[in-house]
Amino acid sequence: MLALACLPAIGEGIYFRDKVSWQSSIPASELVTVDQAKAWGEGAIWVDARPDDEFARDHVPGAFSVNEDRWNELLPQFLPNWSPDKKVVVYCGAESCNAAREVAKRLRDEAQLQNVFVLDGGWEGWAKKSR
Amino acid sequence: MKTRILIFTLLMSITAAARAELKWEQTTLDLHPAVGDKAAVAHFKYENVGKAPVHFKSVKASCGCTTTQTQKEVVNPGEKGEIVATFNIGDRTGEQVKQVTVQTDDPPPAQSTIMLTLKTTIPQALEIRPTFVFWTTGEPPKPKKISVKASKDFPAKNIVVKSSNQNFESKVEPGSAEGEWTIEVTPKDTGQPSGTAIRLETDYPKDAPKAFYVNAQITQPQPPPTLRPAGAASPAANKAPPPAIPTASPAH
Repeated sequence: MLALACLPAIGEGIYFRDKVSWQSSIPASELVTVDQAKAWGEGAIWVDARPDDEFARDHVPGAFSVNEDRWNELLPQFLPNWSPDKKVVVYCGAESCNAAREVAKRLRDEAQLQNVFVLDGGWEGWAKKSR
Repeated sequence: MKTRILIFTLLMSITAAARAELKWEQTTLDLHPAVGDKAAVAHFKYENVGKAPVHFKSVKASCGCTTTQTQKEVVNPGEKGEIVATFNIGDRTGEQVKQVTVQTDDPPPAQSTIMLTLKTTIPQALEIRPTFVFWTTGEPPKPKKISVKASKDFPAKNIVVKSSNQNFESKVEPGSAEGEWTIEVTPKDTGQPSGTAIRLETDYPKDAPKAFYVNAQITQPQPPPTLRPAGAASPAANKAPPPAIPTASPAH
């Protein structure tokens, strides 16, 4: 009976094997919790990776909008506010969203910034703990 | 008892025969937009090969950068159609994987939720590393190098650079192979925070040469909060204004 009960789950697992991410896409060392990031205080600089309209609606106070829709235009506005002693905290709209991961990767690989982190729980996580 | 079993079996057969079934031509599409394209469009084609209508309950993209269009809400038996997903490229580069989740009232669980995948490979015209160089205030104004490499789909032969701030000098040296260059950026003075956006302009495509940007900055490290005088402004307020991005100049 138990084996029979497991069959549908096993079947779906096989059917969707190429469609399900079985591992977290962000290494733990590149993630930061809301509490940790808040504890950094002025030592952190916040980057909002969400689209312009979502940033305009609301954002972490002091955050800079750097999204991939207008990367070439927004990056030069963010960089004068960066300094090597700062930790960069990138967030996006929901846990499943990967905009923060993509922006963090580009800041590390292309601009070669150090100490770039993705906010665990994203904007919703921050809002839940701060409102 | 036998009659009940027979009725049950008959009902099951009828239900199975009358079931709806949306058959997708492909659930994963590889898109290869050209350099300069603003969007990549995927057409996910389907056909209802069952004997009952299928209703779309929802069609959602995994990212705000992708929009979807369904031609119809109900797909009758034998009908064909497509879901069009448009991925807005913006300033993205490299391989981008976006998903569209389609929910229907197709009864088998494996068919009621379908994941459509767009794999878009956005050609990177120029590989620029790093795109940002910086000095801290008071640091010796030594030159810093940026390497630029044109991709095989972007046969630029020449680039010119232009800085928006006279405190930064930039020059281009040809690299070891065709389509490779080194840009050397040197600040005249690192005493004060300042920055510039350096515009790189290629000679390709001939009728509409493309521009790229790298950034150079002289940054002032912030003292720890305990060392900051009481009432001092927040760090962001002390920073240099964003550099002016050089405006378009005649193509070279």
